[in-house]
Amino acid sequence: MILKKIEVNINGRDYCLDVEENLRLIDLLRDKLKLTGTKEGCGEGECGACTVIMGGKIVNSCLVLAFQADKSRIITIEGIEEDDVIKNSFIEEGAVQCGFCTPGMVLAAKSLLDKNLNPTEEEIREAISGNLCRCTGYNKIVSAVKKAAKLKRGGDGE
Amino acid sequence: MKKRGKGIACIFYGTGYGNGFPDVSRAYARLLEDGRVEISVGATEVGQGAKTVMVQIAAETLGLLDKDIVLINEDTSKTPDAGTAAASRQTYNTGNAVKIACENLKEKILEDAAKLLGVNTKVGLCMKDGLIYVKSYPSKKVSLKEIAELNKDLQAEGVFTAHTTQMDENGQGAPYWPYTFASCAVEVEVDTETGEVSILRAKHVLDVGRAVNPSLVEGQIDGGFAMGVGYALMEDIGLKDGKMTNGSFEKYIIPTALDIPEIEKVLIEYPEDTAPYGAKGIGEPVMIPVAPAILNAIYDAIGVRFYEIPVTPERVLLALQSKG
Repeated sequence: MILKKIEVNINGRDYCLDVEENLRLIDLLRDKLKLTGTKEGCGEGECGACTVIMGGKIVNSCLVLAFQADKSRIITIEGIEEDDVIKNSFIEEGAVQCGFCTPGMVLAAKSLLDKNLNPTEEEIREAISGNLCRCTGYNKIVSAVKKAAKLKRGGDGE
Repeated sequence: MKKRGKGIACIFYGTGYGNGFPDVSRAYARLLEDGRVEISVGATEVGQGAKTVMVQIAAETLGLLDKDIVLINEDTSKTPDAGTAAASRQTYNTGNAVKIACENLKEKILEDAAKLLGVNTKVGLCMKDGLIYVKSYPSKKVSLKEIAELNKDLQAEGVFTAHTTQMDENGQGAPYWPYTFASCAVEVEVDTETGEVSILRAKHVLDVGRAVNPSLVEGQIDGGFAMGVGYALMEDIGLKDGKMTNGSFEKYIIPTALDIPEIEKVLIEYPEDTAPYGAKGIGEPVMIPVAPAILNAIYDAIGVRFYEIPVTPERVLLALQSKG
């Protein structure tokens, strides 16, 4: 097996790793680094459960090979602070049911709000449209993202 | 051209296994040494909120706060059988079992309290916020913690069996109890060039008996509505010679956030006599009227009745062509 040496920053921590060249990013995260908050849904880039932020953009970590993450900064759900506004808004709005899509949804929301603190409802729906959810019907997730945006802008979220 | 139409559908749905199938839930309640109460129940949490609802029902029955209930669930070495999280039956069936277990435990606690307080009967006692006191003389009281210290064996079981009878050979009878009612209205827009159907607005009215947790009920309506949209317009496993041809999300299309409108929700609270605090099952009933409401709205928009779902863009275009 050919190993590739990569340097990657995950959730603020620097790693220097030897990875197999066919290793997927999701397997590096879950199996090698035990960051199991990232979920594997379909394994073919359709459901978004494995969403992580790489170089400021959301990617499906099932479609990225680990060596492609060389020299990049990655944020997984474990990198979201305990008292994070988006996370708390999800809880307060009841935006979590079974929870399997939640890590990806939170990161898709973060990626949107990092660039746009005043998104329209359409922009929020577009931003999470790569993340499938079978339980919530999306509406409470949309409300949570709206609330988080408002809180981040300095409002009271109501 | 884009054409708009409105549609409505109303349904009733019997919750529980039905048709004479044994439908039993069990729960245990136990007073812990620190005065909190442990509820053991086998109700599976799949995101619908069973854990929350069971805690709320126990807290309400025992006059405690949610934080004073210790819930043990989904542990087959400790919890009694509460049946499946299916048939929209957990809030009604298992909620009843939890309520009965808590009522039975409360009776035992009150018997101990009556002895400790030196009153002749438990009739005049109140139990609230972890204290048992004489109604007419509230300073005469004892705490659950004090009772637990003296009697380490305060526990009770609750068993609830839902009414169900098998239908006769003509399909007549009373297979279910209770029934949940729902009504859904939608406005759609049909693009006659692409065949696409979008849902512009929706309203869902649900007879819940009693909303133990309104936010959870809203979440179930949102989720059920989205499933109904997928069922009506997108989802097709494409069965061919016994095999699925649409076996991935690339071909088996389910709604995304862009396909779902905001839903105006109305909860009708008309308590069901046999239910815990009046609460009926609502999980499946929310979805059932969605597809017929959408198909009625499509008919209103383009004058075509569809008898096959999903109503995909291809089917809309073919129907419009043959209509001429």
